[in-house]
Amino acid sequence: MMNPVYILSACAISPQHSFEVENFLNLVISADDGKLFVAEPDYRRFINPVAIRRMSRQLKMGIACGMRALQLANVSMPDSIITGTGLGSMTDMEHFLKDMITLQEEALNPTFFIQSTYNSVNGWLALQTKSTGYNQTYVHRGFSIELSLLDAQMFLNEAQTSKVALVGCFDELTADYFVVKSKCEYWKESVPNSLNLLSHNHTNGTIAGEGAAFFALTNEPKQLSCALLGLKLLNLPSSKDFLQEIQGFLSKHGVELKDIDVAIVGKNGDARFEYLYDPTLAAFEVETHVLAFKHLTGEYPTASGFALWLAVQLQHWNQIPKQLILKSGTRPKRNILVINHYVLHTASLMLLQQQ
Amino acid sequence: MEDLKLKLKQQIIESLNLQGMEPKDIDDNAPLFGEGLGLDSIDSLELMVLLERNYGIKIEDAREGRKVLSSVQSMAEYIQQNKKV
Repeated sequence: MMNPVYILSACAISPQHSFEVENFLNLVISADDGKLFVAEPDYRRFINPVAIRRMSRQLKMGIACGMRALQLANVSMPDSIITGTGLGSMTDMEHFLKDMITLQEEALNPTFFIQSTYNSVNGWLALQTKSTGYNQTYVHRGFSIELSLLDAQMFLNEAQTSKVALVGCFDELTADYFVVKSKCEYWKESVPNSLNLLSHNHTNGTIAGEGAAFFALTNEPKQLSCALLGLKLLNLPSSKDFLQEIQGFLSKHGVELKDIDVAIVGKNGDARFEYLYDPTLAAFEVETHVLAFKHLTGEYPTASGFALWLAVQLQHWNQIPKQLILKSGTRPKRNILVINHYVLHTASLMLLQQQ
Repeated sequence: MEDLKLKLKQQIIESLNLQGMEPKDIDDNAPLFGEGLGLDSIDSLELMVLLERNYGIKIEDAREGRKVLSSVQSMAEYIQQNKKV
């Protein structure tokens, strides 16, 4: 079993004001049309002004979020940069494909092609930080950020000296993507206000979202850091298997379900996936806090990155923001379990411990 | 020629997304790369595409391209001599 890794800093760009964390949920953003787009910070603070003019939203989100996470950790050059994205740069790809058709594959703009590649964010982060270390991008839909974290854990476990890995995720929502996925029944036909999403769990589908989250991870325990003890990826879990898998995962790390102080769950109001959460939530202690977030972010392949950001923030909050609380608890916020799923029947677990 | 240069400046601003800039901000003879507009190598590729898409001009020789793309004036002169659209 691998040793834990320690989260030095976390930054998230989400539909809520999470970039400047002190403003988080002071003003709650909601949507009535089933689409939650990110609240964009001033990117010019983090990105070369000459380059920013041709960057898509997702590229700006990823670079600014990554640079901010490094700034918060007081790290100028990470030893590795590992990211995950379920979709890559949708805007650039859509531009490029449309141009291919309308221009009959002649005189295509290079920018859209160059920046539509999945590893554009990593490349820019490496250029900006002058990091020539290990650089990897995972593109595995609902497992993308999880695989990045797993790779970072391996990288940091192998290191003989103190190292820092910048790990993150990013996904953007576009109008075309929304239309395509509505044909696959991703979204609710009768759309509630996003803040009421979780109570509309008797119909299929959810609401769409987007976001980026980045973390500076290290292999040395630091005071006030949050330890990522382990994570697990699950394909097509059944209701019965899922609870057993969670219990098995926890026991491998010397923890039981009753020891979990805070559970952050990826419930998204989709009736098809309630079966994953219901038995699990019933099994938690009465004192356990249960938090949900997809009514604030919408659904996207790397939404568990936002859940991880929330887990890191918990230690800074005397009171958990009420908009997150699915079930109020009384426990101190030490052992945190993140449970998430994505549309194509994949699920993941992350176990964290505040230091 | 003056009309062509104005049109070219508008196309450069739009194609390179030079936010906050207007044609009058671009000097005809100022270098586009380096100290002038401060464009970079990806911009040079975008300008090649601009010439091909709008004027039917394909520049195959990199050395010639560097000369043609040095300023709005040089681009306009090259377009006038070689345009096919």
